Amino acid sequence: MSTLIEVNQLSKSFGGKKALDNVSFTIEAGTTTALVGPNGAGKTTLFSILCGYLRPDQGEVKILGQPLNHPSLFGKLTALPQDAMLDPRFSIQKQLCFYGALQGFSKSEALKETTRVLELVGLSDNHHSQVNELSHGMRKRVCIAQALLGSPKIVLLDEATAGLDPLHAREIRSLISSLSDEISFILSSHDLAELERLCDRVLYLDKGKLTAHNRNAPSGHSKYITLQLHEQYKDALERLKQLSGVLYVTQSQNKEYIIEYQWEFEQFDIHLLKYCYKCNWQYHQLVNGHTLENQLFQKD
Amino acid sequence: MNIHRVWQLAQFELTRLFATKRGLLALSAFAMLWLMILRYPIGHAVPFLSSPEFSGVAQELAGNIGLKALASWPQAELAIFWLVALYSFPVFSLFVCSDQTVGDRQRGTLRFLSLRCTRDEILIGRFIGQLTILFSLITLTALATLAVMTYRAPELLVSGALLAITLVFQLSVIVMPFIALMAVLNLISSSSRLSIVLAILLFTLGNALLSFFSSYLSLIDVLFYIFPGVQLLDVAPHTNVPLLLWILPIIQAAALLAVGVFIFRRRSL
Repeated sequence: MSTLIEVNQLSKSFGGKKALDNVSFTIEAGTTTALVGPNGAGKTTLFSILCGYLRPDQGEVKILGQPLNHPSLFGKLTALPQDAMLDPRFSIQKQLCFYGALQGFSKSEALKETTRVLELVGLSDNHHSQVNELSHGMRKRVCIAQALLGSPKIVLLDEATAGLDPLHAREIRSLISSLSDEISFILSSHDLAELERLCDRVLYLDKGKLTAHNRNAPSGHSKYITLQLHEQYKDALERLKQLSGVLYVTQSQNKEYIIEYQWEFEQFDIHLLKYCYKCNWQYHQLVNGHTLENQLFQKD
Repeated sequence: MNIHRVWQLAQFELTRLFATKRGLLALSAFAMLWLMILRYPIGHAVPFLSSPEFSGVAQELAGNIGLKALASWPQAELAIFWLVALYSFPVFSLFVCSDQTVGDRQRGTLRFLSLRCTRDEILIGRFIGQLTILFSLITLTALATLAVMTYRAPELLVSGALLAITLVFQLSVIVMPFIALMAVLNLISSSSRLSIVLAILLFTLGNALLSFFSSYLSLIDVLFYIFPGVQLLDVAPHTNVPLLLWILPIIQAAALLAVGVFIFRRRSL
């Protein structure tokens, strides 16, 4: 696996406030990475530095082995920056063709590429529309389309589905999922369920400090499963603790239990579901491991 | 710097004027204004300059303000065109080129561009685009003046055409530092209007302050050469103008663009 992004001891301050504090991480090819954190945690600052919009105060960033803003990254690193908009005086097609031409496509190739990416985001009928004729969601999809022009290796999407209706948000998610074999996406979002579905790796930023979580890595001699029941059944916590193979159970939320079980226990999930059936419990969701939310915010 | 990308950026600037409603509207206003200039100042002044009764008075008047050679041009329309264009195009270029990067920066469009080309390429590409726009407009007005002149005196067509070509190139060089100045002001202001206000302040307050200080310290006089258009009065007679004054706008434009590149490379988008 090759390293796409290498960030070492990155810091950035605005006035007296540290937006990024000694942040280091690497992103390997073929991974979809989530960038999570509360408002003001430094996510957009990190995105802006990776895209070369901001200069870091300290630290080093290498993307595909090159320093920031290196011309060899043009067309390989693309992004959906937050709050960026195309020029309202030109049609979408004209601008996307222009971006294609800047990426080195001929006129006809650029038009072909524009048609392809607009189709990908469901805007085939809007070639000649201007940005201010489009709804907020459609504008966002146009911006996603520009990020997919050519064959980018890394695509950074800042709040890609925020403001989209559920149907189009779902389409964008499935688009990201279908392209994730060829493109490494880095997504920032507050929708943890969305990130849970799409990402293998989570970078959690809080007050400028970063912690990384590998979502599929086993830990120690135990494994985890998260069970969400339909109702708050009586004594469920105690009864789950009695199940064979279980090491420890905590109730993370109302009706949700995190079950730690023996690492060598085979088909524990089936064993657990049979137990639910026996106890006459309706289950709502079964997650292999921790939910992203618990992974990030569960204190114990 | 990649020439292909610079050229793509410059070409896109042309479509801003010739293929958008706003651009076409500005172009129509410009055409109407020049129609009036051709119809009245040029149309009325030429018979005055050429008539035997008044040519002596005109020559004397022009001589007093250092424009004697200009008043003796047989292509009188082009002489008036030169004087009008010499002062109007620099001012016009401040307005036409007032939004080179600032609008795109505020909207975030520069963020899409900067992932496809370097900031130097954006700055230079847009400068070349604006210069090409002004070059086209200067050429169009010169052609219109040439047509008016040919209508009056067809025998002057060849000499007039050669003179018109010279004037077009000279005027294009003269507007260069004005475009470059707006490119720099775009990088430090938050709107195109503010860029224009800053330019006006620079030419009025900046000039006044410099005049004030130069009365105490004559060495400061050199700083006047920072101002685009400082040589306009000296090049107006058009003949016997030192070569340095023709080259000065190119030096000023290059210096301003270098400052622009320095600022743009360090600026957040």
